[in-house]
Amino acid sequence: MEEDDGAEEQQRFSYRQRLKAAVHYTVGCLCEEVALDKEIQFSKQAIAAISEVTFRQCENFAKDLEMFARHAKRSTINTEDVKLLARRSNSLLKYITEKNEEIAQFNLERKAKKKKKSEDENKNSTEQAEAGVVESEN
Amino acid sequence: MGGAGGFWVPGPEGKGLQAKISDEGSSLHPLLPPPCIIQSCWSLHRAQRALLETPSSRRLSSQTKTTARRRSQRIRSIGKLAHVQASGYLEEQTPRTLLKNILLTAPESSIVMPKSVVKPGPAPQVVQPSSRESSRGSLELQLPELEPPTTLAPGLLAPGRRKQRLRLSVFQEGMDKGLPLSQESRGNADASSLTSSLNLTFATPLQPQSVQRPGLARRPPTRRAVDVGAFLQDLRDTSLALAPPDTVLEDTQPFSQPLVGRSPSVHHSLPCPSHSGAEDAERAVSHRTRSTGPRLQNNSPGKPAQLLAGKAEVDALAMNFPNTSSSIFGEVGVEPLQDGVGGEAEERTEKSLSMSKVKEAARARGSARAQEPEGHTQVTEAEGSQGAIETKEPEGSSGDCPTSSRRVSPELASSTPEFLQAKRIQGLEPAPPPSTAVLPSEPLEPLSARLPPRARTPGPKACQNPYKTGLSHYAKLFSFYAKMPMEKKALEMVEKCLDKYFQHLCDDLEMFAAHAGRKTVRPEDLELLMRRQGLVTDQVSLHVLVERHLPLEYRQLLIPCAFSGNSVFPAQ
Repeated sequence: MEEDDGAEEQQRFSYRQRLKAAVHYTVGCLCEEVALDKEIQFSKQAIAAISEVTFRQCENFAKDLEMFARHAKRSTINTEDVKLLARRSNSLLKYITEKNEEIAQFNLERKAKKKKKSEDENKNSTEQAEAGVVESEN
Repeated sequence: MGGAGGFWVPGPEGKGLQAKISDEGSSLHPLLPPPCIIQSCWSLHRAQRALLETPSSRRLSSQTKTTARRRSQRIRSIGKLAHVQASGYLEEQTPRTLLKNILLTAPESSIVMPKSVVKPGPAPQVVQPSSRESSRGSLELQLPELEPPTTLAPGLLAPGRRKQRLRLSVFQEGMDKGLPLSQESRGNADASSLTSSLNLTFATPLQPQSVQRPGLARRPPTRRAVDVGAFLQDLRDTSLALAPPDTVLEDTQPFSQPLVGRSPSVHHSLPCPSHSGAEDAERAVSHRTRSTGPRLQNNSPGKPAQLLAGKAEVDALAMNFPNTSSSIFGEVGVEPLQDGVGGEAEERTEKSLSMSKVKEAARARGSARAQEPEGHTQVTEAEGSQGAIETKEPEGSSGDCPTSSRRVSPELASSTPEFLQAKRIQGLEPAPPPSTAVLPSEPLEPLSARLPPRARTPGPKACQNPYKTGLSHYAKLFSFYAKMPMEKKALEMVEKCLDKYFQHLCDDLEMFAAHAGRKTVRPEDLELLMRRQGLVTDQVSLHVLVERHLPLEYRQLLIPCAFSGNSVFPAQ
């Protein structure tokens, strides 16, 4: 039992480490791009610090999103929750709202296309399936 | 009597009285000597009770002192004789000595027949002094010796005429003719044969003494009819305007000290608007500005108490206000203020040589003279047209004083609301905030309840007050817990930061409520907020925090308690 728990923990820990490594790699790539843009060098410690902060903030975001969804008596995290999370930063909020609208439009278009197709083919079953797909995507 | 230790010992009460008089005498030395004829005249109508009730009048010590001071000050203004003779009368404040003086100096007059001299005259004179103040009476006993009691008779009836119009001109005519003056005082319950006879007896000595000392003859100030109705109306308006904030405020704050904290503001502002003529307000305001903070507190409870008591009735009010103002003035000896007051008071009266002399004397002495007749006249003149009188050129010093006190008044107006708010806020917070999150959730609501009534606080910062009062409280807490002294700018910055912080919190709460599709902020929103702040975690739940930090009264609001009898409170 304890060994299992320990193994589990180790698994989680290794999983976590891998996630951290992935974040670190992504942050490094982004910093390289910025460095090329602004002609500024990034030290490795800086990149490491940025990646650590990003990882912790992601944890916080996840918890907050879950809280917001639960506050709205939902079991799924919504774009509304994300917008509420990003409200502090005005520019970020704007960006997210725009992206959200884009995605919504895109989804609507897709819906319309798929509805037409389903009308041509199997009306009931395909509509339900695609409606479910669209909802899950949303 | 002639000596320093002339004490008359009729009994224990008498001893106390003696001690009192001597005390008052010692404190009143510079003011005593020239007895105020007018003042004594006022109280003459209460002659019967005077000496007989001296022990009872002892209770009216504060009034005694102040009115005595007023009188003596006024008297001093009349002539310099008083000052010179003051030292001589330092220790002769016993009734016995005074009586002896009167006997020595007052000419004999008869009670029964007008213009006849009677030996018991001085005795009734002794009895005459008002029951209100024994020392005042004792002071009055000195009047005949020093001053021609020319104005004695007019002054006699003035207090009795609080309810009536003061017609000095008629009175003076009667005086000259030797008519019984008590006939004019209809409402005077104390008017009696004795009073009339006393008036008569005073009438006779008047003329010879006035002839002897024409320079000192003081023409009594002409008084306008006291428009009591208008005065009361003003008072009611101001009191009504100020009453609602009181009641609303007291309702919303369970822990505050509403009366103590609020009454000073109400009553500080009450006298100011009630006297449209700025003099009284300036006087009161400048007085307060000069007094220290604790003194302010000490004075205000006494003053509002007196004011409240007097509000119900015309007479009581008319009586009390000058008394309170005079008591306040008596306590504060500020020469410029008194000069201004004296100058203003004198401006009101008709011009005459004696008046100009009085003005000079007033300024020279620098003594505040708030007397009943003047208070009445000022009250009436505050309401009535003052243009004719104010066109008289005030002399330089008196003109400067009002302006300086006017400048001070706005300062005080702003300081009093802040002072009151500080007092009130201290009583509000039941417990020091251990955690910031627990604090915002509760104080936010009482703060919002508090702010609307406070918005009516008069003063230049009235609009800022509702927002800054709570913040100033927090800033004070901050400075208390910071173990170092803080600069004002630092405290202001702290206030700004707190302001932004609370605004942010409220915005978050609003967003949380909207996120849940609601328009009302509910405890769930607050719990979410606290969770975001990190106060409520998976290990520490809200209930735990509530139980840790809140007193039972608040706790049972959030966590229902089951009482005996199995009734759950609050019922939901």
